Amino acid sequence: MSKSGMTMIVKTIVRLLFPVLLLFGAYVVIHGHLTPGGGFPGGVIIATSVVMLVLAYGYLESKEVVGDIQTETLESFGALMLIVLGLIGVLILGGNFFTAALPLGELGALFSGGNLPILNIGVGIKVGAGMVTIVYAMISFRGEE
Amino acid sequence: MMWFAARISEHLPIFAVAIPLLGGFVTPLIGILGERWSSIKAVDYFALIIAVLTFLTMIPLARGVIGGGEIFVYELAGRIPPWGISLAVDGLSILAGLIAAGITLAVVIFSIGFMKKEEGLDKYYLLLLIMCAGMIGISFTADIFNLYVFFEIMSISSYALVAYYRTGRSLEGSFKYLIMGTIGTVSILWGIAIVYGAVGTLNIADLSVRLVAVSEIAAGVPLSIIFALALFVAGFGLKIGMVPLHAWLPDAYQAAPAPISAVLAGGTTVVGVAALLRVTYLLFDALAIGYMFIGLGLITMVIGSFIALVQEDLKRLLAYSGISQMGYILLGVGLGGLGGIGVSEAILGFEGGMFHLLNNAIYKPLLFLCAGAVIYRVGTSNMEEIGGLAKKMPVTAATFLIGVLALAGIPPLNGFASKWLIYVTGVQVNQPILTVIAVVVSGLTLAYLLKAFTMVFLGPVPAKFENVGKVPVSLQIPMLALAALCIVFGILPGLGLELVGPAWEPLFDHVPYVEAVLGGVIP
Amino acid sequence: MFPLHYPVAILMFLVGVYCLLYRRNLIKMVIGLVLLTDGVHLFLVSVGYNIRNVENPIPPILTERWLDSIPEFAAQSVDPLPQVLVLTSIVIDISIVALALSLVIYIYNKYGTLNPHEIRELRG
Repeated sequence: MSKSGMTMIVKTIVRLLFPVLLLFGAYVVIHGHLTPGGGFPGGVIIATSVVMLVLAYGYLESKEVVGDIQTETLESFGALMLIVLGLIGVLILGGNFFTAALPLGELGALFSGGNLPILNIGVGIKVGAGMVTIVYAMISFRGEE
Repeated sequence: MMWFAARISEHLPIFAVAIPLLGGFVTPLIGILGERWSSIKAVDYFALIIAVLTFLTMIPLARGVIGGGEIFVYELAGRIPPWGISLAVDGLSILAGLIAAGITLAVVIFSIGFMKKEEGLDKYYLLLLIMCAGMIGISFTADIFNLYVFFEIMSISSYALVAYYRTGRSLEGSFKYLIMGTIGTVSILWGIAIVYGAVGTLNIADLSVRLVAVSEIAAGVPLSIIFALALFVAGFGLKIGMVPLHAWLPDAYQAAPAPISAVLAGGTTVVGVAALLRVTYLLFDALAIGYMFIGLGLITMVIGSFIALVQEDLKRLLAYSGISQMGYILLGVGLGGLGGIGVSEAILGFEGGMFHLLNNAIYKPLLFLCAGAVIYRVGTSNMEEIGGLAKKMPVTAATFLIGVLALAGIPPLNGFASKWLIYVTGVQVNQPILTVIAVVVSGLTLAYLLKAFTMVFLGPVPAKFENVGKVPVSLQIPMLALAALCIVFGILPGLGLELVGPAWEPLFDHVPYVEAVLGGVIP
Repeated sequence: MFPLHYPVAILMFLVGVYCLLYRRNLIKMVIGLVLLTDGVHLFLVSVGYNIRNVENPIPPILTERWLDSIPEFAAQSVDPLPQVLVLTSIVIDISIVALALSLVIYIYNKYGTLNPHEIRELRG
């Protein structure tokens, strides 16, 4: 039994629940144009799954799974995705910034709404990575002094 | 290649916002790559390239708006207004945008030398570039909620930048700034909520058309609209340092690193004034805005200069004098608002106010950068401890002297030209008491600035500063450039007035702006 | 009972301002800031609720029941625009609160106290 984190029961359940929560967050992000939610709340749910890992396993162990390099690159990647999507509208399609790149399908289907699903995914990745960075920064500060 | 250039030139307004934003987010990646290839300066040069590109995007726009008098409207995603966000570049926007991009360029050049010894530089440049994107976004947008979002982007980056040195003072100044700044932006959001509830649209041009209709129907102005005006003035006024909402300003400017104080003084106040003018004049045309600004301007001018007289710390003194200059700008703009369309004396006052805004954005950052150069070599900004630096740092002393004379309004520098316009307007609208107060405050300004100059640069050198040398080249370049601009605009004030002239049009004559943005679609 | 929305929102705003002015603890000041902003958010959402002047508005989610009669759906639903504005504003406020709390952690490490009246190095 390792020193940090909680008891064995909690660790086992968390290990089972972490991918499920991640999947739920991804669902909220991707269905943003159909159901309530979207990029921002979905990103926060993704970050919550990582926080659950930190609570159960302790800060140092969970940092090996989702570490600094991953969060920084994911954050920049989310921002780049948004801006590249806008630029695609300018350079390739000949319209203005953020002109729709995907076809506007019929109402209520999953692949509809032009740019919206991809924008939601970009925002979700960025918000999730950003929240995880904030939580890591606040937790790690207590140990450093 | 020509096809590419033609494509880019159509989309310049959005590139002016997107380039610093994109550059800012890529900066940490450049930092990681730079560490791998052991090149420490990679982040500095990348930020410099982005700042230069941003400034270059402004030039064709400026030529089109100021030379040709056009208004560039750019609809995002090709949606027709008012059901979409659009950017509109008119005289006021391009003035604020040029100043924001120019000051960011000067500060980036200064920071390359100044922040050499610090760590975490990639985050510093990220925040600086995102702040620049926020400032340009505020000046160019035509949608009021987009204005609020960009305003928050700029404010949050500045809260983080003020706390950059994590000393006790920086943290305290930044926390105070954060709390008061958030109250200001929340007031703006509340104003937006009230205005949206009244008319149901968020596009500024559409709002101006409909709000006038609302006040005509109700035979007078409803109380909620007056409350919304008060909220907007409170929110934007807190950001620009209007008395009595100025209490955060000296602490924040003193605690921040010197280049950050420069960009706060030159960038955020200018953009805040532009946003304040656009929102109040375009939306609330029917009220006596002119008198309000005159009153607020007078109070700000007087209180700012009185408190500056007793300051011991150089940056704090400069912060209070910045508050006092903001009073001049509000006074000029308020005098302009008294007249309305076609009253020539009022137009003169407005031009004086806007020209003073431009001049303030040149000499205030110059003075802060000189203070930064002094701190770089000497390590303290308490004026009682330093002295006699003119022999050791001649370039800094000369540019500081030019900045001091320009601020005090001595001919032939640029401060004199703009202040003269404001004095003349005060007499012409039969309120000579305003001119008298303005002249007295100018005298006080000269007094405390000369005191600062003599305490820092003349007199005997204390023993511990014997080995102080000159500042590095990258610090000298922006100081010399800004000082040169002071002299140029002083000798040729016509040049400055030409830059500033198109700025007053959208505020008095709404029709070209509304027609350009709405494109003839009046729903 | 629509008259209750606006007074509650203004009450939240005032309680937030009271917290900022009178509490002697930095973390309580941050909580006051959150209350302040949430009061204005509530105000903004209730503006959307009232703007249609309909008896019982429905949430603006397009389900299969309404697919055939979209103009009726648009007339009877709550205005979704203020909800989007509030969502954006809440995210902005999350970053402000995160920054404020980080500053509070630093201040506590430097000064050892959370009382704002004892942290007064800057004067004048």
